[in-house]
Amino acid sequence: MKTKRLVLTLLMCALVWLTVTSCFNRAPVYITTNKTRNIHMIVKMNKGDYWNTVKLGAEAAAKEFNVKLTFKAPDSESEIDEQIAMVEDSINLRADAIILAASSYMGLAQVVDQAAYYKIPVISVDAEVGSARVRTYVGSNSYEAGQKSAERLINLLNGSGEIGILNFTSASLQDQKSNSASIDYGARDADEREKGFLNYAARYPNIHVVQISYTSSSTAEAEELTRQMLENHPDLRGIATLNETASQGAGKVIQSLGLNSLIKMVAFDSSPSMLELLQDGTVQATVIQNPFSNGYLAVKYAVEALEGIEVPERVDTGTKLIDLDNMLYPENQKLLFPFVR
Amino acid sequence: MTKSKAYFFPLRPQPGTRGRIRLSAKLRSIQLIITLSFTAVAVLVAVIVSSMLYNKFAKTAEENANLNMQQIIEQVNYNLELYVKGMSNIFETAEEQVTTSPSIDSPLLYERMDTLMSSREDLVSIALFTPQGRYVTGTPGQNMRVNTQLQSQSWFTNAQKTTDISYSAPHIQNLFKGQYNWVVSISKMIEYKENGELKRGILLIDFNFRTIDQLSRQVKLGKRGYAYILDSLGNIVYHPQQQLIYAGLKYENVEPVLAYSFRSYLDESTGEKRFITVRTLEETGWKIVGVAYYDEIVTTKRDLNQFLFWFLAAVILCAIAVSVFLSWLIASPIRKLERTVKQVGEGDLNTPINVSGAYEVEQLSRRFNLMLQRIRQLMDQIIYEQETKRKGELEVLQSQINPHFLYNTLNSVIRLAERGKNEEVITMIQSLSKFFRISLSKGNNIITVQEELDHIRHYLVIQSFRFKNKFRFEIKAQDEVLPLQTIKLILQPIVENALYHGIEMSPDEGLILISAELQDNLIVIRISDNGIGMSKETLHNILNGGSKSAGGSGVGVRNVNERIGLYYGREFGLTFESELEEGTTITIIFPAIGQNEGQENTAGGETS
Repeated sequence: MKTKRLVLTLLMCALVWLTVTSCFNRAPVYITTNKTRNIHMIVKMNKGDYWNTVKLGAEAAAKEFNVKLTFKAPDSESEIDEQIAMVEDSINLRADAIILAASSYMGLAQVVDQAAYYKIPVISVDAEVGSARVRTYVGSNSYEAGQKSAERLINLLNGSGEIGILNFTSASLQDQKSNSASIDYGARDADEREKGFLNYAARYPNIHVVQISYTSSSTAEAEELTRQMLENHPDLRGIATLNETASQGAGKVIQSLGLNSLIKMVAFDSSPSMLELLQDGTVQATVIQNPFSNGYLAVKYAVEALEGIEVPERVDTGTKLIDLDNMLYPENQKLLFPFVR
Repeated sequence: MTKSKAYFFPLRPQPGTRGRIRLSAKLRSIQLIITLSFTAVAVLVAVIVSSMLYNKFAKTAEENANLNMQQIIEQVNYNLELYVKGMSNIFETAEEQVTTSPSIDSPLLYERMDTLMSSREDLVSIALFTPQGRYVTGTPGQNMRVNTQLQSQSWFTNAQKTTDISYSAPHIQNLFKGQYNWVVSISKMIEYKENGELKRGILLIDFNFRTIDQLSRQVKLGKRGYAYILDSLGNIVYHPQQQLIYAGLKYENVEPVLAYSFRSYLDESTGEKRFITVRTLEETGWKIVGVAYYDEIVTTKRDLNQFLFWFLAAVILCAIAVSVFLSWLIASPIRKLERTVKQVGEGDLNTPINVSGAYEVEQLSRRFNLMLQRIRQLMDQIIYEQETKRKGELEVLQSQINPHFLYNTLNSVIRLAERGKNEEVITMIQSLSKFFRISLSKGNNIITVQEELDHIRHYLVIQSFRFKNKFRFEIKAQDEVLPLQTIKLILQPIVENALYHGIEMSPDEGLILISAELQDNLIVIRISDNGIGMSKETLHNILNGGSKSAGGSGVGVRNVNERIGLYYGREFGLTFESELEEGTTITIIFPAIGQNEGQENTAGGETS
């Protein structure tokens, strides 16, 4: 009797509740930014326009998604141990997520597994790392970029001539690599670009890749290597550089030596100085990536991964070949100069 | 217990069938009805009031937010207009300086250009080109790059197409060495003098975005809202997330914006409701677009929502609590009353009803108590009457074969027979026989007046033998009275009384007059004697049953009165008029009932 009345009353309450609540619509769903998240971003190097742009992209995303971004990078791309230490440090600080541009494919693998052990999601940006625990890779297809570079350079040389390549995996590690050939200690993106370039060039019997030099990401060293290359191979007709510092070094040398009519060059990435070289004809083309997008998307996917949203395994932000003709296309202007202010 | 009850009270609702009707009965209970209706009314009122309030407030809030946003955008529009005017002013100044300068390579012009350049931070460069694209002059320190492709750039082609000032879309300035800047170019075909020769050339002034940026950055439309600027072709001049848009990471739906120059609308292309306000700058054709997130505009609405929600919840809870309490207050005394009444109904008439509560309920209980009291009285009365009736009937039964009377009468007969008075013996025996026949009258309690008068006549005949003609008697009756009905043996006790107490004591010859007549549908039978009469005390005693007729035939006068009262009603019965030494008259009055109705009446009387 009493219970029946109680049940009736409750039923009525529920009914009223329903009628009342039906009048109110739910709040819209978007990525919640109420909680500040600590995301650590560790890239290869703390200088250079390229990494600066990546950082800016990441900061834009950090601002949008309420992320406290800690940006860390060693002084040079070859300081793998330093980078490993930084990842370990982030693990010890219990970062919510780690975004990593690995300087070494295998060198960073172990520490990434370690991060995964502590349930810290790791997002790979620009350069992949040899771990299956990486949640997603955000960056360009390096192999394809290398092929694009080769295609243009060979085109410029009309299919014949000697080519020199300036890549960026450090020399010291190359020694190790020669000792234990099975372990790939180089940065994944550098290797892939080189592989793509060489595989494409191999189709042309008259194209000879006479030298591949490796710089540890300093312009001075790149200049030195370029000079050496030019001295060693006087018949060199084409130079392909596979990252920003290498490009700047090589470009400077060619410009200063006034070799721009003799030697064709396809560069990599788009620093303002590189674009100036492109405009004055020292460099015929450059392969650009989307560093801003890389940085932005890496942080965005890190946040999504933390939110439990399914993230794609691989995000290709694309590469584009820019030359004098298309550099002023409005869409390319936007890509080349994302910084309005 | 219940079984026997059911057996005794078959008409009462039985417990077996109560289960099924319980729920519906429950639903019809006062408490539930009051609770439900009160709650319903309260909730309805609350809902209506709050929805009205909500609509009113929400509408106002939305309107205010819209108005506010439009005002902000207007403000930005105004500022930008001023800025663009400033830009065109600078352009005109530069133009004037170039055209009025006697020669294009005069150092004075050079200096003026420099001054103009340093006057504004957002000026990037001033330059003059020939229609063929050759650099003529410009602000100092500018070195042209190679491969500028300036002839294909929009500011160059626009200047050649029209004579007005033209504003370019945002683009990269690649003309001069140094930095690559995003600029907006203003250009116009003008005339200048070079070495005294009048020539045509294109004047170009580049502005960077700093001021536009500053103007637009101040715009705050809620937490997430923002404003952006489009040029007339849909290129984004300013956007707070310009980089993201340039990198292709974000997208702004500009098509509906471009279609109108002055508009406010709701956009849902991104899946979120966004309120968009468009204003257009006259000179440049730029559009200022304010984007406010609808859910932020309606934050007040949501707050209100929440408030009203809790308010409603509270009101409903209160309403339920109050109505439950109220209904309990009303229903519980009624229920208590019902329980008590039920107890009474089950036979416990002595249950006192003391229900406190509402005035009506208290009143009801008081009335019920009074009723109960009355019922108890009536019950007592019925019990008393039934007992008296039974006793009276028993007495009548006894008087029918009164052995004393029989013995006396038979003694008289014997005496007469000894004297050889055969005639008289026969009369005596005949009378006795008829007397008893009517006395018994087949056990019927009701006889005709005729029979009753016959009966008393036989009695008087027998008594007159016994009293040796000490009295006379006379019986008169209207003919219409004779077939009417009466209870039997109502006259005999009175006549007996008159004989033994009135006439026997009197020295004179007695006279007993009996008359029966119909008056106003009442049968009036008068028995009068001229005996010694009765004192007031005796009269009183007779009426109140204080004394028994000493040596009477057994059926007392009071018994007659009782029987008449019980049978016909209390208003009927005997009346006495008596005076000492003069005699007594007793009048019996009872309603006239015919034979047929009488039978019905008798039947009804017996069953009731």
